[in-house]
Amino acid sequence: MKRYFKLLFLPFIAIGLFIYVQQTSLSPKLGLDLQGGISVILTADEETDPEVLQKAVEIMRTRIEAFGDVQEPEISISGNSAVLVQLPGVTDQERAIEALGATGLLTFRPVLDSSIDTGYSPAFQYIPNEDDPDNPTKIAVPGVDEQIGITISDNPNFDSYLLSIDQGYPVIYHLGPAELTGGDIEDAIAVYPENEWIVSLDFKPESEDKFTNLTKKLAREIGERRRLAIVLDGEIVSAPGIALDVNPDIGITGGTAAISMGNTDTGEAANNLAVILRYGALPVSFERSSIQKVSASLGEDTLNLGLQAGLIGLIIISIIIILYYRLLGFVSVFGLSMFGLLFYSVISLLGEFQGFTLTLAGIAGIIVSIGLAADSYIVTFEKLKDEIKVGRSFEFAANKAVDDSWKTILTADFVSLSAAFLLYILAVGPIRGFALALGIATIFDLLFTRLYTRNAVPVIVAKLNNTRLMYPIKNKDITNV
Amino acid sequence: MFKNLFLGNTSINFYEKRKLLQNVLIIEVVFFLIVFVSASFGLLNLNFSVDFTGGTTYQFSSDYEKSDIDEILANEILEVSRYQTFENSNSILFRAVEGTQEQETQFLNYLANKFDIDANEIEFQRVGPTFGQEITSSGIRALIIFLSFIVLLISIRFQFRFSIVALIALLHDLFICTSIYLLLNFEITPSTVIALLTILGYSLYDTVILFDKLRDSQRLNKESDLSIKTLNKTFNEILMRSINTSITSAVPIASILFLGNVIGLSGTLTDFALPLFIGIISGTYSSIFVTIPFLSKIINK
Repeated sequence: MKRYFKLLFLPFIAIGLFIYVQQTSLSPKLGLDLQGGISVILTADEETDPEVLQKAVEIMRTRIEAFGDVQEPEISISGNSAVLVQLPGVTDQERAIEALGATGLLTFRPVLDSSIDTGYSPAFQYIPNEDDPDNPTKIAVPGVDEQIGITISDNPNFDSYLLSIDQGYPVIYHLGPAELTGGDIEDAIAVYPENEWIVSLDFKPESEDKFTNLTKKLAREIGERRRLAIVLDGEIVSAPGIALDVNPDIGITGGTAAISMGNTDTGEAANNLAVILRYGALPVSFERSSIQKVSASLGEDTLNLGLQAGLIGLIIISIIIILYYRLLGFVSVFGLSMFGLLFYSVISLLGEFQGFTLTLAGIAGIIVSIGLAADSYIVTFEKLKDEIKVGRSFEFAANKAVDDSWKTILTADFVSLSAAFLLYILAVGPIRGFALALGIATIFDLLFTRLYTRNAVPVIVAKLNNTRLMYPIKNKDITNV
Repeated sequence: MFKNLFLGNTSINFYEKRKLLQNVLIIEVVFFLIVFVSASFGLLNLNFSVDFTGGTTYQFSSDYEKSDIDEILANEILEVSRYQTFENSNSILFRAVEGTQEQETQFLNYLANKFDIDANEIEFQRVGPTFGQEITSSGIRALIIFLSFIVLLISIRFQFRFSIVALIALLHDLFICTSIYLLLNFEITPSTVIALLTILGYSLYDTVILFDKLRDSQRLNKESDLSIKTLNKTFNEILMRSINTSITSAVPIASILFLGNVIGLSGTLTDFALPLFIGIISGTYSSIFVTIPFLSKIINK
């Protein structure tokens, strides 16, 4: 009874997970090479500090998210000094790449007017229309989009109308020309002194006066005109107000300022702002060492090729195994199918929750692992044959064979697993996807050998009395040795 | 004959064949030497892909005439170093030197105009030589660490001598693959490097299973050292497993190669499948026939 429970455990989990995945309509997250898109590798100087590289990745991520039509951008450090950017589904290559590499311009600009009404932009002026009082004539400031009233091409030296979603709802700000730039900042850090996140800002000594004068001017204003917008590449990052206790005759002195960020989150917003203030521009310069563009059709063709090849391979293997190993063959084909279901489900789940993407190299890893998984069954069945050959009863032989072959498979899979592990740790880019797929498959192979094969084979073999049900060998031949 | 093979009762005297196998191995080594020496004198070249050499590639599908290709090779925008057409599809690939961004865009538009397709339909790839170098150098680093680890592992589980035999079988498979790439001038892409690393895994996996079987037979016969009898018996018994395993491993990979050829899709997946296929065949061969001369030496001692 216990044996039945053990041997059915993994198939049960595999089917359960598969149904769950189907119900929630999850499917493996496809890599760029399978669905089309742009992949860029940016290389920095060899000696770049890993922390600086990490910062650059964070900045690029913010920029790409601002870029819009990117489905699930993946930006990661690969190797010592390279950043791998994958933009699935992106077709406008030039724009995407420029968004990544451009040195961002950070400016501080006074707020002149704002609106929280999405339909209304301070750039529009409405003149009452005498003939039709419900439809006043709309006059837009030159240079703004006629529909939404946002400056099309922002120049920090002139007034602009920019959108901010910083507070969770859209606000269009009317901004004056830039008064300070990222170059005036010495340092910025996020701190949590008492019950509140604060971004503490330090200006360079030569810029202290500029900042004091600006705050003097702003402290005279009230309401939205008391705000100072922080703008990165035409995007409003934040628009903090000047505290009410700032004296308009003195301003904020000492070259330091504190931007209060509230205590509603874990400090992520404060950290992000600090990063942007510190490195409005990327902290290191990158060379584009590889740009690859895959069209959606080629990606699809390749995916289909992989799937078809895998399926055909699986069918041929099943036929061969069943022809040779007969009933045992069914044991292994059923096991391999469950292995496939589990693999599919786990990859879908990993894609959903861990962001694991299935790439071409990953598919290759899976195809390789089908071979390894099939081999585990073959090793077990051949061992069983050897045990029957030396005259043991089927039941005893089966128990001994599964125990012995478990040790063999453990050793051999340990080699595969350490290969996958080392490849994953040491390698870059596509090799990692391959290593991960191979590693997962090897672990599943071990689980299946231990729980499924180890119990299924004795249970079935104990009920048999003829070797012809297991091998293309007659009973009398095997005992007449 | 088949009955005995199925039963594992073939009575091939592998030990007696050791001299023959040794000679075959020597011939193979001479062959490797000739190939590698001619490569070092520049008679044979490894055909590295754009990932290693740096440059740009443009691939698209369109009807074309031979004269179109000649015209593009003679274009004045970018220097096109070579082109590639595919047998079963109307795909065509041009490889050019790296130009300025403007030149590349201009060339892209030129191709789009010439073949009357949308510029977005052209696969464009630009690669600096650093990418391939990085993959290779990290691959080599992984290789060295991996091999030392494997020597340690096999030495612990079996014996130090066995780990050397496993390494020789492994090098054999790598050399076969490299020689074939040199001789047939196949293109080497980063996928090829990954595939070579996989071959290592395959080759070792096969050899470890063999060693495990050898040790089991030794225990069964209550021997402390390997004997001629055990060697012969084990290799006869393991034949069927080797055949079945190599079939099950090779079939999915063969189907990639086959389908890829039928569809006319030559890409990463087929780049990967070819060396793997060679490696699996070679790995099965080496785990039996390359190990025998060396295992026989272990018996002699």
